[in-house]
Amino acid sequence: MQKPAVKKLPFLGFGLGLRTSHYETVLAELPSNIDWFEILSENYLVAGGKPLYYLDAIREHYPMIMHGVSMSIGSSDPLNWNYLEQLKQLADRVQPAWFSDHLCWTGLDGKNIHDLLPLPYTEETIEHVAGRVRQVQDFMERPMLIENVSSYLTYKDSAMSEWEFIAGIAERANCYILLDINNIYVSAFNHEFDPYEYLNFIPVERVGQFHLAGHTNCGDYIIDSHDHPVIDPVWELYADAVRRFGPVSIMIERDDHIPPLNELLPELDRARNIAQPILKEMAA
Amino acid sequence: MKRISSLQSQFQSAILTLGDEFDDKIVATERVGVKQRIGIYADAYRLRLIECLQDSYGALYTLLGDDEFDRLCRSYIDTHTPYHYSVRWYGDRLAEFLGATAPYREHPYLAELAEFEWKLMEAFDERDVSPVTVEDMATIPPDQWPHLTFGLHPSLRHLELAWNVAAMRSAADEDRDPPAPERSDQPVPWIIWRQQLRQFYRSLADDESWMLDQTQSGDNFAALCEGLCKWKGESEVAIHAAGLLKQWITDGLITRIGT
Repeated sequence: MQKPAVKKLPFLGFGLGLRTSHYETVLAELPSNIDWFEILSENYLVAGGKPLYYLDAIREHYPMIMHGVSMSIGSSDPLNWNYLEQLKQLADRVQPAWFSDHLCWTGLDGKNIHDLLPLPYTEETIEHVAGRVRQVQDFMERPMLIENVSSYLTYKDSAMSEWEFIAGIAERANCYILLDINNIYVSAFNHEFDPYEYLNFIPVERVGQFHLAGHTNCGDYIIDSHDHPVIDPVWELYADAVRRFGPVSIMIERDDHIPPLNELLPELDRARNIAQPILKEMAA
Repeated sequence: MKRISSLQSQFQSAILTLGDEFDDKIVATERVGVKQRIGIYADAYRLRLIECLQDSYGALYTLLGDDEFDRLCRSYIDTHTPYHYSVRWYGDRLAEFLGATAPYREHPYLAELAEFEWKLMEAFDERDVSPVTVEDMATIPPDQWPHLTFGLHPSLRHLELAWNVAAMRSAADEDRDPPAPERSDQPVPWIIWRQQLRQFYRSLADDESWMLDQTQSGDNFAALCEGLCKWKGESEVAIHAAGLLKQWITDGLITRIGT
């Protein structure tokens, strides 16, 4: 039997991560070269006050995507339904085109390490995670994207590559992939694989969004710190990704040493200047 | 499931307790060894929580300075694992820890400052409720006044401070040097609250503090006036109570009037 076609997610254009230090500037200037914002869901799982005020005010002017860090989709703990209930309420408020979280686990026995911990790449893990993604997607009633994380260790148990692992889960869970181009670069360096081999394996129709960010090179390894501008080799990888995946919504993440908004906009323009000629050529 | 579960358990324990039971489960490369790879996660865990505590306890951080605050955070982290899905709630027991643990417990203003700062955090993103206005009050016929009860804003926190910790916090917020710790003769009642998006705090006289407690307990206006006779003469007590109420309404503290 032929598999049903995967519906490509809409192209929202070029976005930024919404950060508290930019709230006022965004509302005062409503920059037209930001097409959409990605919010960090956990920052808005609160009762009231400034976070929700600014969320609503900015949502009136921009499309938004919800991006979480605490779903712990790969944990062997049960899913946290209290968290998911709140996430769904937030989604009802924000009406995002989709929501995403990381392909990782964040804690066990109810604990939360507040980090994106890698998983062993095995059939057992694929089965485990895919089942949970299906449950979450059904509950949220919206498409879910899983993001590849930067990692600093590999389990001896791993029986396949990271790209086979994430593609396998997306296929089995019938979900989408948020491809973090910087994370591919970071993990390729840390685990000594070819980032282009990664890109070229990922099924085109499954990729719903890209992330770009900067990192910290510690010499022997790279840390995904989101505190610097995107580096040239990551821009090159991004250009390749656009050639392969076509029009995919893209955003730039900055979580530390956050500069004023007007210093981030040229970076967003750079993404636009790379992608648009390629997309135009592809459309011709 | 069993295999993932045991690997995750060993990984988590390597991060939390820095043991070596996870070492032989991961791949070393020539460039980066096993210890270093696990160490990246163990360090990141602590640094992330320290950063979160710096954000939540800005004045305490200023007061203690980088090294001492780092030492405090690390001993707190060693004894308090995060459970909440939002890192914003990490540090909810820091005041208790400071009050019970040497050497911090010998400086009781530290626990008090932490308690004050945590309550400010609580008020920051508490529920939004529209406050009652002075005009709403004016429409109530005088004969109903004795029976009125009042609902208070959910962000309101009422606490007693023996030390000048509010001044320490103000100094930190304004990038000034913190004042030297100073203890008052009697603990002073304070309130913290949010009016729309702005946070406020101020001290209260004993009668206002009593009236606020009783309002919270559901006493009506007549009972409040009766209790205030401890501080004011019978002829002026109703005017005094109405004056305090008007102040609370102006401050956005009253969200409901029950008749």
